[in-house]
Amino acid sequence: MEIKLKNLTKKFPGDPKKNIKDTIAVNDLDIEIKDGELIGLLGPSGCGKSTTLYMIAGLKEPTDGEIWFGDEDVTHLSPEKRGIGLVFQNYALYPHMTIYKNVSFPLTNLLVDGPVIDKLTVRYLDEINILKDPAKIVDVIVNSVDKDKAEEERVIEYHPAIRAIINSFKTTQYIAKDLFKLELHLCENPEEVQNKATQAITVLEGKIEKRKKLFQTFKKDINEKGEITKDGEVVVKKHKLSSDEIDYLVRDASRLVQIDNLLDRKPSELSGGQQQRVAIARALVKKPRVLLLDEPLSNLDARLRIQTREEIKRIQQETKITTIFVTHDQEEALSICDDIVVMNEGVEMQKDHPQEVYRNPHNLFVAKFLGTPPINIFKGVARGNEVYVGDEKILVTSTDLGNRDIYVGIRPEGFLLGNNVEKVLTINIKQIVTMGRDMTLIGSHNDFDGEEIKIIIDSDIPVENGNNKFALRRNKVFLFDSLTNERIYFKD
Amino acid sequence: MESKNNWKAWLYLAPVIILMSVFTFYPLINTIGISFLKNYNYISQSSDGFTFDNYGIVLGIKGITRFGHTTYMKDVIDYAIPNTLIVTFVTVPLSIIISLMISIGLNSIKFFKRIFQTIFFMPYVTNAIAVGMVFTVIFDRNGLFNYLFQFLGTSMGQAWIDMGASREKAMFALCVYIIWHSLPYKILIFLSGLQNIDQQYYDAAKVDSTPKWKVAWRITVPLLSPQILYVMITSFIGAFKEYSSVVGLLGQPGTSSGSKNMYTVVYYIYDTISANNVHYGSAAAVLLFLLILVFTFIQMYVSKKRVHY
Amino acid sequence: METKNLRLVIKGAQKDTNTTQKVDKILHIIGMTLIYVFLAIMALIIIFPFYWMLITSLKSTEEIRRTTQTFFPEVVMWSNYVDVFKRFDFVTYLRNTLIVGVISTLGTLITTIFAAFAFARLEFKGRDLMFSILLMTMMIPGEMMVITNYITVSNLGWLKDATGVFTSMIVPFWISVFYIYLLRQNFKQIPNELYLAAKVDGKSDWSYLWKVMVPLAKPTLITIFILKLMGAWNSYVWPNLVADKEQYRLISNGLRSSFSTVTGEPQYGLQMAATVLVTVPLLLLFIFFRKYIMRGVGRAGIKG
Repeated sequence: MEIKLKNLTKKFPGDPKKNIKDTIAVNDLDIEIKDGELIGLLGPSGCGKSTTLYMIAGLKEPTDGEIWFGDEDVTHLSPEKRGIGLVFQNYALYPHMTIYKNVSFPLTNLLVDGPVIDKLTVRYLDEINILKDPAKIVDVIVNSVDKDKAEEERVIEYHPAIRAIINSFKTTQYIAKDLFKLELHLCENPEEVQNKATQAITVLEGKIEKRKKLFQTFKKDINEKGEITKDGEVVVKKHKLSSDEIDYLVRDASRLVQIDNLLDRKPSELSGGQQQRVAIARALVKKPRVLLLDEPLSNLDARLRIQTREEIKRIQQETKITTIFVTHDQEEALSICDDIVVMNEGVEMQKDHPQEVYRNPHNLFVAKFLGTPPINIFKGVARGNEVYVGDEKILVTSTDLGNRDIYVGIRPEGFLLGNNVEKVLTINIKQIVTMGRDMTLIGSHNDFDGEEIKIIIDSDIPVENGNNKFALRRNKVFLFDSLTNERIYFKD
Repeated sequence: MESKNNWKAWLYLAPVIILMSVFTFYPLINTIGISFLKNYNYISQSSDGFTFDNYGIVLGIKGITRFGHTTYMKDVIDYAIPNTLIVTFVTVPLSIIISLMISIGLNSIKFFKRIFQTIFFMPYVTNAIAVGMVFTVIFDRNGLFNYLFQFLGTSMGQAWIDMGASREKAMFALCVYIIWHSLPYKILIFLSGLQNIDQQYYDAAKVDSTPKWKVAWRITVPLLSPQILYVMITSFIGAFKEYSSVVGLLGQPGTSSGSKNMYTVVYYIYDTISANNVHYGSAAAVLLFLLILVFTFIQMYVSKKRVHY
Repeated sequence: METKNLRLVIKGAQKDTNTTQKVDKILHIIGMTLIYVFLAIMALIIIFPFYWMLITSLKSTEEIRRTTQTFFPEVVMWSNYVDVFKRFDFVTYLRNTLIVGVISTLGTLITTIFAAFAFARLEFKGRDLMFSILLMTMMIPGEMMVITNYITVSNLGWLKDATGVFTSMIVPFWISVFYIYLLRQNFKQIPNELYLAAKVDGKSDWSYLWKVMVPLAKPTLITIFILKLMGAWNSYVWPNLVADKEQYRLISNGLRSSFSTVTGEPQYGLQMAATVLVTVPLLLLFIFFRKYIMRGVGRAGIKG
């Protein structure tokens, strides 16, 4: 699903009596998100990114502007009608329901648009299908027992063999229970297994016949797919999901996020990372048009964060659902998003590919916000083709920059030691921290706009405390207008 | 310092310990003791020794023999216990359901919320006796209730609680009054519970297209279950001890003079004091205590699985 | 079964967004209207007895007994309020109630503060056991105690004179386990560092309690004060037992006994005037201290 935000604005009214001004959380936002894209809304807290997400979800009403899903204007549609999946920052799993109930909950509110099926017939058909290879069933059951012995006792309530059948054949708990009850694994030899299976198939076929007869008394029939037909036509209408369909979908989603062994538990028995997966499964199970993630990783510890963000990337790639992901952590956004929208004070600062946002910031804010350690900003002056910081000419360009005050941003990795070069910047180094391959120099400069300059260079380069002259890498130097904070582009 | 703290702490607790020993712990044991004394007279503090009979007599199983005549005291078994149970099992569930509906309603509105809240809390700050007397006026044979519900078949002059009213009618009036009086406390507890439920659960339900009734039944009520359990236990205990509502409404224990057909267990207990029959009253009190204990434990046990904390 | 082709749709979603929006809006309005109507009806039921009390207190007996009930007095009988003082000794009852209420409240506050402080801050052997025993007594119905307590006060000779009767209405109520619990929770929220800092500064427990904890717990103490005062105003059972003389009665007992004889036609107008006198002070208290009252009562449930 393609998403378009047109002039999206959200104002929170103030209170003139109490001298509280209106706050503009989101200001005139225009974003287009392509189908199947994973996009990150990145910005410091309070920049309006969560508000934007909530407006897309329908939980907050925009003051102005439009939201389009494909060619449908959903601006004023209530959230329940939008068909979105939303993962909350603290997951919002219902604490009184098991994981299975949590994940299946959205499905109980939905309808299927399609052929009406006879649940039992489909179940029998599926069972027959699996029974065609009875040896595999025996295999699965026998292998399951040892492997799962270490599992917690509560899970054993659900016999490990049944779980193994569910997972191996990607089927439902109902079918797994039926198959397990056949006790194929108790047979003495393969022939007996085969015989028993054949017998079972015959019984199931008999049952299917009975279902058909039952339907025929109501002048309906069941076709070979288990669909109900009337006058030879498949009956198609919106209908509730059967327990079997729900089970299939829940298990699909659980497998996707790898929580299929946790379904009997309550949310409080799960770790943060597991809860996160459950929340994603709950959002995905209803096959949403759009998946929205509100700071999904902020409640996880550092190790889990990296793991989970890879997971989100994988899930998104598998499902190809258009996904919007809100975060204040640049690393998160840079590592998994197809595209990043950097926001500040409700305004879109830049929308670009992750590398581009870093390599090619459009304004001072984006330059400052991305990168660790942060970019070093100096107050400088442009004079025609030349750029000065203090008395030092640090750059000569082929573009006429005019005469104005500017900010010069230099990435920490943009410095080269250059005693014999013409255009240099002299920085007073106060501290040298060697960290293996690289070292960090901490220094100061009169025109530096900030607390301390951080420079990262190769640890082989001989540097000493005191004044050092640095040459600059051109592609790591950015110029910004000191009034508008917009980037000043220049050519070499 | 630790040991110093020790005796100091007990000094701080001394008033509580002394007062509670005299007015709580000693009475607890003493009352149980009295319930096993035959013909105890609290004025002379004399008795005819140990007996189990008081319990049997209170329950109407055993007769009292005086001057060769054996009489059975049936007030408790015929009136007090059934009335108490009726009051409990009618008013508690009804008032919980009504107050739950009101609280959920209150929690979902924006305008007039405060004024509604204030109105719904008003019965809490009223004197049970005073408002009971107001209900006496309303349920008078020529009162408002008969007048308003004529279309439902009531008629002026029909007695609800006056002389000669049937027990059923008086019980009805009593239950109406008790429910009315018990709503505010429950509403307040439920409302504060509701306000503690994280808004995100509702947002999540909304995003998942959950219909409103389902949100109420599948999300709100389960998340409110600790408060519901608390209210249930306290109102069961309260209903078992119902007394002042009868006094407020009727001013006497029956719907005609001399009759005890509106007795509750506690009413009976108090009556034994003025009648100098406290050995029976003690037995009834012990029975009431046991009943409350059993009920509380049953509720705790049943709710163990259903209540989510 | 293949779930990939399962097309899930939302209940009640129309084909086009506009209709969906409209249907939604209408349903929302209907739902809200129903909620408001329900709340309004319930509020009416709740408030009606108050209204009825008020107008009945202004009606003549003849009008009250009429077969057609009036919803507003035809002749406003202010005289009911004058006459009521002849039958109902409001001033005496009010005085008695205030004496009992204030002294028992102050006593309760002191015992509660001491006990809550000991349970919240001091460490001593058997603290938790003692506290759970206290909490358990909340489950015991007061009726278990009342018989023996009556015997106790009568044996102490308290039922013979005014001082004794008042003492017996006050002293047994100097303890409230629930308030100890409430205040202890409040004390516990005060960070331990404050206590340690005070210790370092050489402050004694005693001055720490009065200089730091009590001021910090003031809202809770006010709540306790008001609730306890309301309790005295509403108490009926125990005073009814011990104060059998007219001049010792508290307000509820006075109210009930003044109008309890059922001889002849009851004078409802006077009765209701008296109940107005009893009810209004409480409602005023509620209006002024709404916050404290609601918080104190609501606190009980949050813990569950």
